[in-house]
Amino acid sequence: MNLRIIGALVAKDLSLFFRNRFFALITVLGLVVYMVIYFIMPKAVNENLEIGLYAPVVLPAFEQMQEEGLEIEVIESEELLKEGVTEGQYVAGVVLPADIMEDFMSGQKPKISVYFAPDVPEEIRDAVGVLIRELAYQQTGQALTIEITEEILGPDLAGMQIPPRDRMRPLFAVLLIMMETFGMANLISEEVERRTINALLVTPVSVKDLFFAKGITGVSLAFVQAALFMAIIGGMSRQPLIILTALLLGAVLVTGAGFIVAALSKGFMSVLAWGMIILIILFIPAFGIMFPGAVTGWVKAIPSYYLVDTVHRASNFGAGWGDVWYNLVVLLGADLALAWIGIMALRRKLR
Amino acid sequence: MSLKHVGILLGKELWQGPKNFIFVWALVMPIIISLVVSLIFGTLFNEKPKLGVVDEGGSQLVAMAEQLPSVITKEYGSVAEIKQAVESGAVDVGMVLPADFDSSVMQGEETELVTYIWGESLAKNRTILGVTIANLVRELTGQEAPVEIEAITLGDEVSIPWNDRVLPLVVLMAVLLGGLTLPSASVIDEKEKKTLEALVITPASIGDVFIAKGLMGVILSLFMGVVILVLNQAFGTEPALLISVLALGAIMAAEIGLLCGALIKDITTLFAVWKAGGILLFGPAIIYMFPQIPQWIGKLFPTYYFLQPIIAISQGGSGWSDIATNVFILVGLDLILVGVVVFALRRTRQFAV
Repeated sequence: MNLRIIGALVAKDLSLFFRNRFFALITVLGLVVYMVIYFIMPKAVNENLEIGLYAPVVLPAFEQMQEEGLEIEVIESEELLKEGVTEGQYVAGVVLPADIMEDFMSGQKPKISVYFAPDVPEEIRDAVGVLIRELAYQQTGQALTIEITEEILGPDLAGMQIPPRDRMRPLFAVLLIMMETFGMANLISEEVERRTINALLVTPVSVKDLFFAKGITGVSLAFVQAALFMAIIGGMSRQPLIILTALLLGAVLVTGAGFIVAALSKGFMSVLAWGMIILIILFIPAFGIMFPGAVTGWVKAIPSYYLVDTVHRASNFGAGWGDVWYNLVVLLGADLALAWIGIMALRRKLR
Repeated sequence: MSLKHVGILLGKELWQGPKNFIFVWALVMPIIISLVVSLIFGTLFNEKPKLGVVDEGGSQLVAMAEQLPSVITKEYGSVAEIKQAVESGAVDVGMVLPADFDSSVMQGEETELVTYIWGESLAKNRTILGVTIANLVRELTGQEAPVEIEAITLGDEVSIPWNDRVLPLVVLMAVLLGGLTLPSASVIDEKEKKTLEALVITPASIGDVFIAKGLMGVILSLFMGVVILVLNQAFGTEPALLISVLALGAIMAAEIGLLCGALIKDITTLFAVWKAGGILLFGPAIIYMFPQIPQWIGKLFPTYYFLQPIIAISQGGSGWSDIATNVFILVGLDLILVGVVVFALRRTRQFAV
């Protein structure tokens, strides 16, 4: 392997990339658009059920109920309550009748009116109904004969939930990296189709040099974009070194995948066909981060799982080396395996 | 422009099209995406709290919980299974009902109920599930609710379920994949293989070639738009109006595709344009998905004027008077794009005829 030649090939590929101002501009623009989407997404999670209460009489069970996830605010008049519900200040407005205590004492069932904004989903309406019934049970002193013991599994994020945009951070970064699968595959496929690769190979450039140079170009382009994105959106405020390592290993992974796609393809159309299949497969684990519980254990068979899981845990939970070392080792193994398979397949194709 | 030449070229495109990967991709992908989206957003994006239950003794509580509209109930076979489900976020709360649970609570005995809570579960979901469990136990023991609840809705708007929120994105994908990608990839492919040069030395002009490719994109795009709306049962009450708007959107997609075809030299660059520009085109659909984002931002994107009438007709039951302004803007954008494509063709030396 000749480092000088590799350096020259990388410089050639990168200068070709940046000489095409349009290509360069559009890549930057792509990054900017992803960032804009990130920044306009909600930055906080509202995990409380805000309920307005108009109670002409004092009902301790209702007024003192301030559980985690529930905010009951006492309002001075029914009109103000309706206004608050209409403006979206409260998910529901509860109006207790003035004679509710008399009804309770005489064994009658008082009627409680609950106002909802029109966009409140059916399940929330039902849930508020269940909640009011439970408060009424408590107010009338009906005992519950069960003792509930609770065990929290995983880090308890009550009150400090991860906003959707932060949950999507690994997805954006991984998407940026994975798109380079196409770029890398197309770059090699074009060289093969145009036979410039054969021309290169009659110079002192060896097949190893060529693959190494292409690999470095692919890894650099994928890694720099993803790292830049994560840095700007604040994704590296926790465990930056781990995230950078994961992104670098991810960039190697997609470069290896790009080699395989290039070996399988004959022109851009087949690059698209094969690339799309690989992209969809690699994308599935990111989907599992966005929608927890949506995918089962088999997702661990996909190497990109170890990339998204590491980025997610490090950037959102501050996971350290001790927590993610296994992911990084598996990712490295997958990198080596994919790169080896890709290079072998391409070698066969060039023979 | 010669209609005969355009017809012959269009015939060639239609004959050769099905052998082209992009053509098949534009036909198949929207259908796959639509099916996957309805599966995913019909279930995964459901905001209902999820309750997992392990029933060790045939408790009636499970059947009662399954009938509740406010929670999703899933049953598991063992404590290990439910713990795994809670840890992965498949359910917000998991509870283990002991073998003699029903008889114990009915006899008024103090009974222990073990629950597992997913750490990432929203606080409101925990509260809802907590009171739901308490309510179910009370119902099981025969306690009668001491109040009657009257639900009153203020205003007449309706909440939009996730399935409907995602529909514009799927429609846009269907229209753009065919309408934009097919003409652009086809022109670029011909440029790369130098067959375009061969074509323009025949009696067919470059304009004829572009019109034929654009028409092909419009036909495929319109067809896929209709298919997706039919698949999602979102045809509304004004099918003729809906198809007209879809056709205008398909024309816009094809014009953008032709513009890309005229300006872009190779497929790699087209791909880069898709990477960045695709998000600009899908912007209004993404904004529609998240009501928290100010909806006026959508109006900054050209595809908004195609998408808004489609949503209004298919989901809001709107008629011509409600969408007329946006349709006129869409027609205006289509006409401007025609001018831009012609200008781009004239400016591009490669196509000078």
